[in-house]
Amino acid sequence: MSQYETATATASGYGSSRGGAPVVSFENVSKHYGRLHAVDGLTLDLRPGETVALLGPNGAGKSTSLDMLLALRKPTGGRIRMFGEDPYTGVKSGRVGAMLQSGGLMPEVTVRELVELITKLHPNPEPVAATLKRAGIAQFADQRVDRLSGGQTQRVRFALAICGKSELIVLDEPTAAMDVETRRLFWNSMKEEVAAGRTLLFATHYLEEADQAADRILVINRGRLLADGTPAEIKARAGAKRISFRLDRVDEPFLLGLPGLVNLDVRHDVVQLQSSDSDATLYAVLDAGYRPREIEVTSLGLEQAFLAITAEDDAANGTTHEQETN
Amino acid sequence: MAGVIALTRAELSRLAHNRRYFIFTVAFPVILYLLIGRQVTAHAYQIGFGAYYMIAMATFGAFSGALNGNAQRISQEKKEGWIRQLRLTPLPANAYVITKIIVSLATTIPAIVIVLLLGRFYGNVHLPAWEWPVIAVVVWFGSTIFAALAVAIGYRFAPDQVQPVTLIIYFIFAILGGLWFPLSGFLGKVGQFTPTYEAVRIGAYVIHGDGVPAGLPIGLVVWLGIFVALATVAVRSTAESV
Repeated sequence: MSQYETATATASGYGSSRGGAPVVSFENVSKHYGRLHAVDGLTLDLRPGETVALLGPNGAGKSTSLDMLLALRKPTGGRIRMFGEDPYTGVKSGRVGAMLQSGGLMPEVTVRELVELITKLHPNPEPVAATLKRAGIAQFADQRVDRLSGGQTQRVRFALAICGKSELIVLDEPTAAMDVETRRLFWNSMKEEVAAGRTLLFATHYLEEADQAADRILVINRGRLLADGTPAEIKARAGAKRISFRLDRVDEPFLLGLPGLVNLDVRHDVVQLQSSDSDATLYAVLDAGYRPREIEVTSLGLEQAFLAITAEDDAANGTTHEQETN
Repeated sequence: MAGVIALTRAELSRLAHNRRYFIFTVAFPVILYLLIGRQVTAHAYQIGFGAYYMIAMATFGAFSGALNGNAQRISQEKKEGWIRQLRLTPLPANAYVITKIIVSLATTIPAIVIVLLLGRFYGNVHLPAWEWPVIAVVVWFGSTIFAALAVAIGYRFAPDQVQPVTLIIYFIFAILGGLWFPLSGFLGKVGQFTPTYEAVRIGAYVIHGDGVPAGLPIGLVVWLGIFVALATVAVRSTAESV
């Protein structure tokens, strides 16, 4: 009833257009710490070549989900598969490269020595020189790891995630410590990874990043999957456009019956509404003989969509969530 | 195995960058031997004091080297997430611990070699050629007991707690094991069950020449078993917090 069934329908409906066995699958996965449900019945599939953002506020269960995928934690319930195998076997086969917020670096060695070490641990790695170049760390490769700035450290972590030429790359809040320029470089090199056919899964709470980098977004809140779709679909879900106008004789029942209407707010003669189909909504107003003034149609960003989706969920407080995923 | 070799080489390169580590494991036993090794003419464990103190100081250097530095490093690497980072690579789960014990064996070599050389040329200890490597190897392998204990402590305690914990263990095993001076009476009886005593006493029996009682090497193996078990429990039970 549930989250499990509805989310499965969403995920497989999306995935079926891509073909291929799933790179990653979560089947009704939970992680409970006593009464706290960090992850609660999460079901999803990643297809080869996808770039997927795991988007949610802090504490939504993003890191816990990635930790379980990477065999760092065991799920309380459900089943996780990576390339059809259990997560530990998947990680040890070298088919995944990962960068976690909590991942540390070996101190007292140089950047080059560290990259060489992790490279050697993988079965078919990238040449070390190529990794250094792609991660943008060649110019400080001979510096000691414990003497780098935060942004440099983050780039070294990124190098460790790509040096194994793994098919799947998992990144937890990859750009958290990066300045704007480093962030741009980072996503550029990430695009090269995706162009080379890799599957990319990254957790973020930056909407802009999910919008620009991902071709699919999974919105999670309080350990559950709330939405699964392209950035455009996610935006559409919360009412993609905001329309506002002034109208002298407001007829609320009429407005409530408008096609595509998601939300309506009327103050005196000012009407603000959100619509999933702004053209149809506006034509219906005009066809009914109204002549509204000061018409504005603006796009709702992913941010509003995201806030709408999580706010709905928080308001529902877990009781009606099966409607939300439909 | 290739992973263990790669990680061991990186760890050794690290030690080369940070020689402070050696100074402590080597300096204390050397200074104590220089101060005391030739000053006492009595016998201990039925052999000359200079020979006893040589084995005791080699054991002291090896076990403090295996315990202190390692426990601190493991705890720090756990806190900073390096262990976690390694878990994301194809390196097998137990390889990190195996590497730490191999590296510990490598780091105890200088203390053992230098103290034995000091015994020979400063303490005038004269032994048949075969006894030197036997004594060195007993002390060397005895130090793995403390390398295993270091793993247990490093996984179990935060970096700021490691120092006092290892210090207490270090004093207990050094004193009860008769590393600083041979014990007699009640403490001496209790001390006979420590791995430090067992390692030194095996060396003393080798020098004295009338066969090593089986209880001593068995005792070392039992200690190794206990500490490996403690280390395994510590690693397993902290798996989700590493």
